[in-house]
Amino acid sequence: MIEDRHIGLAYGNGGRLTRTLIEELFALHLANDELDVGLDAAPMHLPEGMVPMITTDGFTVQPLEFPGGDIGSLAVNGTVNDLAVSGATPLYMTLNAFIEEGFEVETLERLVQSVAAAARLAGVKIVAGDTKVLPRGQGGGLYLATTGVGMRPADLQLGLGRIAVGDRILVSGPVGDHGIAVMLAREAFDLKGPVQSDCAPVNHLTAALSEVAGLKFMRDPTRGGLATVAHEIAMATSTTVRLKETDVPVQDPVKSVCDMLGYDPYYLACEGRVVAIVAPGAADSAFAALKRTPGGEGAAIIGTIEQGRAQVLLETEIGGSRVLDELEDDPLPRIC
Amino acid sequence: MTDARTWLERIRALPLEGKIRVMNVCGGHERSISMAGLRGALPPEIELIPGPGCPVCVCPEEDIYTAVQLAMRPDTILVAFGDMLRVPCNAPKNEPRTLEQARAAGGEVRPVASPSEARRIANENPDKEVVFFAAGFETTTAPVAGLVAEGIPANMSVLLSGRLTWPAVAMLLDSETPGFDALIAPGHVSAIMGPEEWTFVPEKHGIPSSVSGFETPSLLASLYSVLRQYLDGKAFLDNTYINVAKPGGNPTARRLLDMTMDVVDSTWRGIGTIPASGFALKPAYAEHDALVRFQIDPKQARKRIGEMPPGCDCARVVLGKLYPNQCALYGKACTPRNPIGPCMVSDEGACHIWWSSGVRPDTPQEAVSAHY
Repeated sequence: MIEDRHIGLAYGNGGRLTRTLIEELFALHLANDELDVGLDAAPMHLPEGMVPMITTDGFTVQPLEFPGGDIGSLAVNGTVNDLAVSGATPLYMTLNAFIEEGFEVETLERLVQSVAAAARLAGVKIVAGDTKVLPRGQGGGLYLATTGVGMRPADLQLGLGRIAVGDRILVSGPVGDHGIAVMLAREAFDLKGPVQSDCAPVNHLTAALSEVAGLKFMRDPTRGGLATVAHEIAMATSTTVRLKETDVPVQDPVKSVCDMLGYDPYYLACEGRVVAIVAPGAADSAFAALKRTPGGEGAAIIGTIEQGRAQVLLETEIGGSRVLDELEDDPLPRIC
Repeated sequence: MTDARTWLERIRALPLEGKIRVMNVCGGHERSISMAGLRGALPPEIELIPGPGCPVCVCPEEDIYTAVQLAMRPDTILVAFGDMLRVPCNAPKNEPRTLEQARAAGGEVRPVASPSEARRIANENPDKEVVFFAAGFETTTAPVAGLVAEGIPANMSVLLSGRLTWPAVAMLLDSETPGFDALIAPGHVSAIMGPEEWTFVPEKHGIPSSVSGFETPSLLASLYSVLRQYLDGKAFLDNTYINVAKPGGNPTARRLLDMTMDVVDSTWRGIGTIPASGFALKPAYAEHDALVRFQIDPKQARKRIGEMPPGCDCARVVLGKLYPNQCALYGKACTPRNPIGPCMVSDEGACHIWWSSGVRPDTPQEAVSAHY
């Protein structure tokens, strides 16, 4: 039991308090049959005949808690999703926590519980970790870093190189929720609203898509959003990515905030969505696979890969079009 | 209400011959046009020209320089609308040239979306000087007037760069080459000042005009109206935003503007001085006028003061006299990543709009017309 209400620097000195922090808080909540807090490194038991995949990510979101998620669930889902869209089943994860001196133990406990819950939901085991305590003023309360290991079937070939003209584009649900939820949680620009982050693991969605013959590429549209993924595809394949405005799902509150601030929802971050490219004939089965998987209820077929200059074109409601260019700077609110 | 597609079909059915240039003078209209992809959907005879309606583009270099200087003061928070942060001024090398650079160099700069946020920031930071850099047209200046009239926090002042929309249009029409055949008049400005402000355009100059809202159907209805007027050889002021832009405008907003502001001759970036085209705080509010409070003379001699960057043709672009890709810097030295002139900074600026709609320096003219 941690007796202090706030994390002091001594919790990072490697002594008794560090041990208490790890045993009574981190290990307590993250417990699983392969987590051994006594060892310096953990063994991994990987299935034969598959390709091991590894990825890593850091998390510094502010505020630490927001509607629909928090830095804990984000740290798990961010890494799980990077593995998932690469075609891998996430198995193991490590967790680094950089805690600012003075951080409330109660909040830390809540966030570590959130890490544990997200890991359970994604079916990934946290097997190693580290904690550091930073002097007051550094670290924004809590930074997390995770590294994930997963296994990909040897015969699952995914990549930008497989994309061809005629392929269809799908998204697993509405875009822009996370970006707007976090902005509203900051109460930035005096705006408040009910938008929930879409923060969630996508490995069940990607597993369902991997069953579809004709799946060519998957990506999670995090920073930079759908437009950035589409732009990356257009550049790498020298094709025109055509998206249809009326088919891309965007929730009404997200649209309203975007209208008010002059933002474009296609550039806002998602944390629980998948963009998939499939062969022309596979679009319907990919759509059905998403639809019947929890988290994919809002899926849609949103566009096509076309011959033409390397660009992203959005076909608007009235039949016009506009170019979704590469994101330059972070969006800022306009004057009027 | 008639929907956008129906209006579009009606417009396509019009017997248009030769180019007709329709100018808008509102950043909000320009954004709606771009977001809806209107240019690509309209018959090629119709050219939609963004006129002097981008507040970022016409904000004088002196005001941006002053804002940057204020941002670098210790114990000062400079509050500005987000898209003012990247507009460059002519500061010496090694000095910040934009508010964004001022922030990187240690100045405290906060982007906001509304004047009320500026007041909140002032209330939350009583030990700091909070300067609100209020650049914009009537729509932005009216809430500033409200802020001042209601009682502004003691630690807050306003660097006012407010402009009136119609005098710039009047100046264009009085010139020999106005550069447009019809006008989409601004909806929000009319909601505040009253649509009557725009009757001079059809009555004095014979230019078909219509006040418009910001939804695609309202914009297309206004466009249809001015095209019909043009074809019928008529000119009057129509209004497709009648529920919002009512006769006489908003009496409260006008009273607050009259109470707190004088209308003065003002500088427009690259264009010069336009008589009675800007707002200044009345002397009674001098203590909250940043220029008075910090004893700044924006006109004080300085290298390249008020000048456009070398080679930059933003002034002619703002006036609709030059296409963005006819500027020698367009897409070469001047891109959204490294904007030289204000038209490339703001998403209401013509150059930025063209860039965002995919026009590059090597885009053939036929392809440009397809976008435009």
